[in-house]
Amino acid sequence: MLLSLPAIVIVAVVTQAPILATLGMSLVKWIVVRPDLGVTFIGLDNYREIFTSWDFYQVVFNTALITVVSLVVCTVLGILFSLMLNRDFPGVNIVRTLIISPFFVMDAVAGIIWRTIILNSSFGWNGYFASLLGTKPFDFFGVHSLFTIVILITWQWTPFFVLIILAGLQNIPPEVMDSARVDGTGWLRELVSIRIPVIMNHIEVAVLLGLIFVLKVFGIIFVTTRGGPGYSSANLPYYVYKTAFLGWDVGHAAAVAVVTVVITLLAIAALFRWFRRRIGETA
Amino acid sequence: MRDHRTRGQRGGDRVRRRKRSALHRIPGIVLIWLVAILWCFPLLYMLITSFKGEADVLPPSLWVAHPTLGNYAIVLRHEIVRYILDSAVISVLSVFACLAFGVPVTYALVFGRLRHSDNLFFWFLSTTLLPPVAVIVPVFLLFRLSGLLDTLGGMILIYTGVNIPIVIWMTRSFLLDVPREVLESSDMDGSSRLRSFFNIILPLARQGIISTGLLVFIFVWNEFFFSINLTYVHAATVPVYMASFMTQEGLFWAKLCAISTLVVFPPMVLGWLAQRSLVKGLTIGAVKG
Repeated sequence: MLLSLPAIVIVAVVTQAPILATLGMSLVKWIVVRPDLGVTFIGLDNYREIFTSWDFYQVVFNTALITVVSLVVCTVLGILFSLMLNRDFPGVNIVRTLIISPFFVMDAVAGIIWRTIILNSSFGWNGYFASLLGTKPFDFFGVHSLFTIVILITWQWTPFFVLIILAGLQNIPPEVMDSARVDGTGWLRELVSIRIPVIMNHIEVAVLLGLIFVLKVFGIIFVTTRGGPGYSSANLPYYVYKTAFLGWDVGHAAAVAVVTVVITLLAIAALFRWFRRRIGETA
Repeated sequence: MRDHRTRGQRGGDRVRRRKRSALHRIPGIVLIWLVAILWCFPLLYMLITSFKGEADVLPPSLWVAHPTLGNYAIVLRHEIVRYILDSAVISVLSVFACLAFGVPVTYALVFGRLRHSDNLFFWFLSTTLLPPVAVIVPVFLLFRLSGLLDTLGGMILIYTGVNIPIVIWMTRSFLLDVPREVLESSDMDGSSRLRSFFNIILPLARQGIISTGLLVFIFVWNEFFFSINLTYVHAATVPVYMASFMTQEGLFWAKLCAISTLVVFPPMVLGWLAQRSLVKGLTIGAVKG
């Protein structure tokens, strides 16, 4: 127990105490760059302000859309890629390495590389293909900026799904697959009625961890769209950042942070319960 | 007799099917190669561009007419070196701090006689669910008040606090693999718990602990949110430099690609090395890695 104390203290100081402070700060009016105004207790006014602001609902909607769409696409692609990688063929290790690499690339670089050499409308491949086809380049950072964010997150997180789901596929005992083959089960039947159920546990873990991480996404948005135009591609973490460090309205930012935590925990709990119930039904 | 024939036929079917599938598989193999190259294309093209002269960058092409290492030479004389050094110091020290504080906790959780060890484990786990925005405002104000803002020490503190739970999460399944009898027999030899930790547990779980360290290194090296909010110049890490690069440097894409290649290389290599243990550790043994 004595051994655990330093870790408990550090983690508590860095994560738990600040959350309580955030909770407290969400009840005050405090604009850091205006010390003349002081700190005043305003009760739930910050929350009232949030729930009556149109921006907030847009950001919540964006967060939900980003999370759901990218997790669904990641799951589907993760299963497909894993199935393709779960065989022996020339260069399987290189292919595997190519597919999982994006996961280890820092957000800042991933965003900048996509933004410049790939999607830039005049000098990137986007502009190149547009001029080749004689069309206007796709507007990745204007009207379609939310779509762009979803693409980038999917690109980064599909490898993570592949890592986990592939491990699941490789765990299926060969006898199971052999007996299916002798029975003459078709490829699709084999996939849906044997492989997917066996790796369901892996898929669930990937989705759950994916949800935890995707809800925290910040860097990708910061370096590509800056949440814009307006708030059209901002998620909750970016919204908190913007209120806190661009407006210096600490109380308001803290209130948004509290709401973000509540939404995050509710989403995780809901997904977790759904998975547990599904298992209860099949058992 | 009849049985025998059936088995023979089945065997023949199998051989035929295997022959057919050998040819059959070629389109599939080509497809997966294409998918992989396309998926990694932004990174591959980044690598290609880093060897181009600035004049050859536009229009985009896969061909490098005059390959050069000049971008790397220029970039390595640049201020980026300082950021890389800061990042390295912060990452390495955070990894050691996380392991030093975290692994003993896992040891106590797995082998100790704590009454609420599950509760303690889930408490640590639950802290990883929270988005960093939940703590950033108070942490920023606290750092500003205490002079930790924009210092290496401050960043190491925050990364240690954030990643200790990850270490506990990851190493638990590795320590669970160590057979209890080994520890019990060393207990009987009269060696203290602390001695058995260093003499028995650490060597046996070495592989898993090293992979955990690699993962924490990747997380800290790549971390963006805390770094952008808590540093300016003195303790700014590589991601912060990258984020400001475009505004400073305009359209020097070849150099941008050279820097990017340099800074994504270390975590990528470590990631390839640690990938298998990563799956096992992160899934908490809920699934087998």
